[in-house]
Amino acid sequence: MNDTITQNLLVFGGVLFCAGLVGFLSRRSLILMFLSLEMMLSGVSVNLITFARHHQNYQGQILAIMVLTIAACEAAIALALVVSLYRRKATLDVKAWDDLSETIIPKVSESPVRFGDAAMEFPILTPAGLDPLERPVPSDFEANESGTADKVSTRTHEVSSHA
Amino acid sequence: MDYQFTEPTWQLGMITPIVLGALAYLLLQHGVLAKSKQLMAAGVISFCGAIVFAIGFAPSTMESVMLMCFCSIATAGGISFLVAREPVYAALGFATAVLSTCGIMFMQSALFLAAATMIVYAGATIIIFLFVLMFAQQTQLRTYDVQLTHPVVAAAIGAVLLITITMCVTGAKGIKLASPDASRPYSGAVLPEDLRSSAAIDFLKTQPIESMSVPGTTAGLGRSLYTDYLIAVELAGAVLLVATIGAIALAQRPAENLS
Repeated sequence: MNDTITQNLLVFGGVLFCAGLVGFLSRRSLILMFLSLEMMLSGVSVNLITFARHHQNYQGQILAIMVLTIAACEAAIALALVVSLYRRKATLDVKAWDDLSETIIPKVSESPVRFGDAAMEFPILTPAGLDPLERPVPSDFEANESGTADKVSTRTHEVSSHA
Repeated sequence: MDYQFTEPTWQLGMITPIVLGALAYLLLQHGVLAKSKQLMAAGVISFCGAIVFAIGFAPSTMESVMLMCFCSIATAGGISFLVAREPVYAALGFATAVLSTCGIMFMQSALFLAAATMIVYAGATIIIFLFVLMFAQQTQLRTYDVQLTHPVVAAAIGAVLLITITMCVTGAKGIKLASPDASRPYSGAVLPEDLRSSAAIDFLKTQPIESMSVPGTTAGLGRSLYTDYLIAVELAGAVLLVATIGAIALAQRPAENLS
């Protein structure tokens, strides 16, 4: 067997591993982080199979089968964890679990995301009306067409009494 | 078994494709983010340049064109997995990379492993991941799908690691063929006549390297798996059982009156 193929395939396994590493470091979605882990494992499998061919026995392939088994276990556990985490916070963002880390790390405020066009930015409406927590609505309050303030209702009451 | 490790050398053809690939990743992910066709075209050109450099400057070109094609497709799938913002497209890029890897395994005469990887990864894992993605799917892209955490730093770390791996692999100046391993007599590709005799080990030791065949049959893999590595198989089964129980216990809905 020509050993340059072995060398090239070892480098290719390294390429897959590094692609998975970059994905794991840069992605924020939990599911895609676990897919990056699977890609790293497949790079390792390529390495093992190349060495099995190089040594001309089955030991590397058997080790690759073990890697496949552990990858299946890891996928099952990881998906169960992701589902239970999603039930708690309804997001797949890994940053949502930042409060599990040390508290001395300063929080970086997120910059607004622009994806292509400005369709993802929404106008901010100024708050209007009464805050029901600050001023509870009285029990005898009746809404009418002209407004919701108390003074309006009292004024209309006066007008009706004069008439 | 004499590996003659020489001093690792800095070769231009070794570093240039890696740097070009990292550049292609950064350009493509920024181009996808900004929806700029120029940036994406520059990224694709940089990736093609990386492949051309890697083929041209390799110590000697790969014998098989198919192997080279599979490697290129798998790397392209990996990069599209990295740059795609929609999670479903990223999963499809991952599937492309894994299927091309299965082709490489076929060409390395690991037939059973290629089929098993195709079934387990591209069949089961991708489908389950897609189920979870659709379970958690929103109508539009979320912030955590679009935004990355320090892609430049991640690409730099990956490039440095890849350069290190390449230096280690190509520093070995021609990997010598290994002598037969006599400690696992059932795992060799060529079996002696009587495996139970102690002459088997002597037979393997005297076996000339040129006459050793390529380990390609699934029967040989099964023979090695259930003789030399029987305990490992049992342990793997136990790990699978524990993982199944753990997954069922974790995925259960919590009780309603738990407060």
